[in-house]
Amino acid sequence: MKQPHSKPNSGKTGPDYWRSLDELAERPEFREWVEREFPEGASELTDPTTRRHFLKIMSASFLLAGVGLTGCRRPVETIRPFGKQPERYLHGQPLFYATAYPGRTSAIPLVVKSHEGRPTKIEGNSLHPDCKGAVDQFALASILNLYDPDRAVRFTEGGNSRRREEAHDKLAAVAREAAASGGEGLCLLVGRSSSPSRARLIGELRQKYPKARWFVHEPVDFDIHRQAAAIAYGAAVKPYPRYDSAKVIVSLDCDFLGAEEDSCVAIRKFAAGRRVRKPGDSMNRLYVVEALYSLTGANADHRLRLPAGQVAAVAARMGAELLKQAGDTSGLAARLMELAGPVRQHEAWIVECAKDLLAHRGEALVVAGYQQPLAVHLIAHAMNAALNSVGRTLELHAAEPEPMGSISELAGLLNDGKVQTLVILGGNPVYNAPANLNWKAAQRKAKTVLRLGYYEDETFELCDWHLPQAHFLESWGDARSPDGTLTAVQPLIEPLFGGMTELEVLARLGGMEVTRPYDIVRETFRKIAGPEESAWKKFLHDGFLAGSRSKPVEAKFSPEAVSTALREFKPLPAPEVGSLEAVFYRSASVDDGRFINNGWLMETPDPITKLTWDNAILLSPKTAAALGMNWFDLAAKSPKANAGRFNSPVVEVKLGNRSIRGPVWIQPGLADNTIGLALGYGQEKAGRIGRLAGGSPAGFNAYAIKPADGFVYAGASLTVVPGKTYELACTQEHGAMEGRPFIREANLKQFEQRPDFVRNMDLDAPAHTQHLKPILDERGRPKPIYKRPPLNGMHQWGMVIDLTACVGCTACAVACQSENNIPIVGKEQVVRGREMAWIRLDRYYYGDVDDPQIAYQPVACQHCENAPCENVCPVNATTHDEEGLNLMTYNRCVGTRYCSNNCPFKVRRFNFFDYNRRPLDKLYKSPFSLNPDGQVELARWFKDPDKGTVPVDQWDLLKLARNPDVTVRMRGVMEKCTFCIQRLEQAKISKRIKARDSGDVRLSERDGSMPQTACQQACPAEAIVFGDITDPQSRVSQLKALPHNYTMLGYLDVRPRTSYLARLRNPNPAMPDAVARPQPASMEEYEKKNASPFEAPTGADGHGKTAGVSGGKGGH
Amino acid sequence: MPLYALTAAVLAGGGAVAGFWYYFTPKYTRVGYQPLQPVAFSHATHAGQLGMDCRYCHNGVEQSWYSNVPDAATCMNCHNQVLKDDPRLALVRESAQTGKPIPWVQIHKLPDFVYFNHAAHINRGVSCVSCHGPIQTMDEVYHARELSMTFCLDCHRNPAPNLRPLDKVTDLAWNPHQHLPADWFEKAAKDWKINASQHCSACHR
Repeated sequence: MKQPHSKPNSGKTGPDYWRSLDELAERPEFREWVEREFPEGASELTDPTTRRHFLKIMSASFLLAGVGLTGCRRPVETIRPFGKQPERYLHGQPLFYATAYPGRTSAIPLVVKSHEGRPTKIEGNSLHPDCKGAVDQFALASILNLYDPDRAVRFTEGGNSRRREEAHDKLAAVAREAAASGGEGLCLLVGRSSSPSRARLIGELRQKYPKARWFVHEPVDFDIHRQAAAIAYGAAVKPYPRYDSAKVIVSLDCDFLGAEEDSCVAIRKFAAGRRVRKPGDSMNRLYVVEALYSLTGANADHRLRLPAGQVAAVAARMGAELLKQAGDTSGLAARLMELAGPVRQHEAWIVECAKDLLAHRGEALVVAGYQQPLAVHLIAHAMNAALNSVGRTLELHAAEPEPMGSISELAGLLNDGKVQTLVILGGNPVYNAPANLNWKAAQRKAKTVLRLGYYEDETFELCDWHLPQAHFLESWGDARSPDGTLTAVQPLIEPLFGGMTELEVLARLGGMEVTRPYDIVRETFRKIAGPEESAWKKFLHDGFLAGSRSKPVEAKFSPEAVSTALREFKPLPAPEVGSLEAVFYRSASVDDGRFINNGWLMETPDPITKLTWDNAILLSPKTAAALGMNWFDLAAKSPKANAGRFNSPVVEVKLGNRSIRGPVWIQPGLADNTIGLALGYGQEKAGRIGRLAGGSPAGFNAYAIKPADGFVYAGASLTVVPGKTYELACTQEHGAMEGRPFIREANLKQFEQRPDFVRNMDLDAPAHTQHLKPILDERGRPKPIYKRPPLNGMHQWGMVIDLTACVGCTACAVACQSENNIPIVGKEQVVRGREMAWIRLDRYYYGDVDDPQIAYQPVACQHCENAPCENVCPVNATTHDEEGLNLMTYNRCVGTRYCSNNCPFKVRRFNFFDYNRRPLDKLYKSPFSLNPDGQVELARWFKDPDKGTVPVDQWDLLKLARNPDVTVRMRGVMEKCTFCIQRLEQAKISKRIKARDSGDVRLSERDGSMPQTACQQACPAEAIVFGDITDPQSRVSQLKALPHNYTMLGYLDVRPRTSYLARLRNPNPAMPDAVARPQPASMEEYEKKNASPFEAPTGADGHGKTAGVSGGKGGH
Repeated sequence: MPLYALTAAVLAGGGAVAGFWYYFTPKYTRVGYQPLQPVAFSHATHAGQLGMDCRYCHNGVEQSWYSNVPDAATCMNCHNQVLKDDPRLALVRESAQTGKPIPWVQIHKLPDFVYFNHAAHINRGVSCVSCHGPIQTMDEVYHARELSMTFCLDCHRNPAPNLRPLDKVTDLAWNPHQHLPADWFEKAAKDWKINASQHCSACHR
């Protein structure tokens, strides 16, 4: 009805528009709009008679469909395309670039996935002829360091920000000074690198500045391998062990599967010699002599634990035995016997081991570890020479020594006031220089200190000019892989914060014309491989230069050189309770400290101790008891609220006149009277990850008491600090299987006699289910009592994990975290058992507590066909795919957690808090709490729901690390392993895109279309195999058909799609510990509660002693 | 409380809920959305009148999940000669010159927890018109179909009628049911092994 009122202005919005619909209808904009919105119904709306009727019916739509009321719609989002799209860029399709993770003496070749111009996932380069795609957890996690909000982003002088050009000017000024004086007073401190470009630049700088002095410092240095080989063979060589060719390996405190450099390549080669597919396959044999429990020790067939200082005696005795039996006449054997006194009680072990080595001459290998003194390495080489290893299991590659001084020589120069300009490239000497040098005071004595560093850390505080370093993913460079192949380091993104690479700084310091790292690397390549552009392009495409592997050098072992060197060797005294041996070791989480601010690594549990976020002072149970600490007593006396939490006593360790304090961790299997100290923690100037809630640094700083370059020191004392405890976050308290058959182990001989022994450990074996005959299906399993999802998809996914190959390195866990956007939860939440890892490495101990055996089992979602988690979800958020996957629909999940309750494997992880949008120390804050800026959290959320309360720099950067193909989960949602559904879907889609209108849509290994899960791709031991179980020729089907394939907890009738290959050990029956223990310790534990699986026959009456869970009808 | 007041309140409340339930669905809230774009690009002119193939501009659609809006350089392929000084193309020229992106308003947007892949559909016989409507007739693009989960499932439950020969995928005016025999569709679905998954994992990862 028309009402008399003034016409509304055309610019108004809101209620004014609705004064009169008729009035509105007269306006030309309305007509135009109507024509657009309702092309069919336009006439209706403009014709007055039908308009009102139409409007009544369409009123809701009318209300919502615009007329300026866009406020009722979702917020406007814009698409902003390029002005000019880069070539080959397709939004949504990742690009892959080959690069390498630069280590100390070598680099790991990588292929990095890049989304929208930024790197998101690191993978191994499977094309590489030697490494074949092996990676370690450091390379995988290093991408998070690229997006680290605490990295150095500015050029500074005296702590004040400067522009990049001013830094360049400063470098040019240093170059001019040096040119004028020939480098007088210029000292440069670098780390180790395998980069030929860096070596070339250093060579040119040496020529230009002959008086400049060069020094190298690596707090954890592996150069001793080269030094020993150079002495032993009288040539400039370094050893390259061929673990794949060796049938018997003796490790003298050499953690080649864990802490040594290139461990990923070693794992691959070792696993190749280890895995068993059928009875009759041969396995290699590993003997380990060590003090601390390392990954290599965990995988040993025979392990001798004794203080690190006595490994030399073992080596000497073994060497003497070997040389004697090999008929050596050099007199070296006699000298070695002199050193063998302290280990008389291990005579039988050592002699049998030597016998085994000799029996496998030409296929044996002896390796010594980086912590051991030069003498042990030389003895190892002597043994290798006697065993004819060189050229077979041990290659010698040419390796020129770096003619650089040590950091202690530099400290001497500094203290003498002879250093004008000190340039530090990388590293953090103020934090990790040997404590004897008092480096903090020494560094100040240089007139000017310039430093290229990744963080504004301890060294930053004491330097004049600080230049931010570029991450390797932002840098041009080159390196050599462990076998010597030239490998490219190619950037995936421009330096995010304008950082500089080491090559550029060196070039500028040399006053060179060419300072762009690309040009420098190109020039080096030209010198090595010629000027052809096509060769350069292939090098960048493949990531390596084919055929550039180091050629093995022929060199003769020199017993005289070794005898001479051994004359100066002074073994350490045997430790005792009052004078303990301190062993420093490279942390499996933070390396030498460089990854202290990397959340993924800090939260990935240490493979042996399963500790996260902190390091601890490791003691063996006997030593702890002798020092007055009894673990079990402490747990019993704690208040109930702390049940299950580790509040360790704090102790003080004194070495020389320095001491540090830290929590104790009792580690079964450690040598007695030895203390294990992980390096790299306790950094005061670390970023927000390296400092826990409250700003206290994670762990304690072991460098503070490490006197010099060595790793083993005698004379440490330990006293308990009364009344002080420290909470440690450990992810696995329970180390026993309680007689349940999770890991099924056998010795190789037992396996050969009884290949299907695992069937006797299946509590769902046909033998136990005879009484259920009427309701069994054709495979002998009970028919399900309610409707199951149809498994009729084209592919049926399954996985097999080979426990013989798995060494426990946790690369799979880090790869999974990187691929699936898994958050870190912080130490407090790990204490409560809320860590989010979708795949975990369970570590079990068996045997006696002083000298246990260890076994590892990677556990991720088993994708049960009869999944107990699916039935109990009230909102059907977890469902079963037709291809056999158990999947989560995160948007449906309401957080009941019933599914996790029902999962017998406990692989479901719940997001208790919003780990992505809340800082880890503010997780508990409610919506009504006050933020630091005085605003109530609820009000802040209302204004900007997306951002959360993490600091802006963290929010902006960590977003870039996320994989866009995977949902980022919010608080209140359950998550778990999906068999990398995003990779499976992408593979299926790619196949369909290729197939177009044909029916060729099935994925298969034969045409290369089969995807790999992230864990499978990362595993250096190739222990994880994934594929289509309906394809009888796929690898996974072949493995599942093996006699030693079993599923965990099969008797629950959950029918997991993930199965395991039993773990096989290969002990030498003549060894004294094998005589005492003829089968794996885990089987002893199993047989206490069940029958022996090697005796009871599989078949109709295969009962023996009945299963431990529940006998009779009820249990099945 | 008087009974009729109570009854009226319950009925009104129930009516409000029912109305909300029915009308606040994508069919009503999304269909017809036609925002104003910064540049008055007309698909009717380019795709309809000139007959340009969709993939000339949306070139990523055959390989990527994402159907990209073209960069300004693509526009300039023709418009550096055609209408080369026209004021309506000022933003395009500026973008091609300086790289400053044109802020196109996004019309078709699925929630973040839905992972839709264009390439999987385009390469397997689903035409642009099935989901985007008759773009070649639109002077300003509007949201033509509701793109709700039901909409996707209706096709995934019975994909055959929505298929067409691959060379006709971008021929938006062509109706396969008018040109092809009725049994073509089922045969194509069988021969091409069209396996439109109805499982949650197809779209919700």
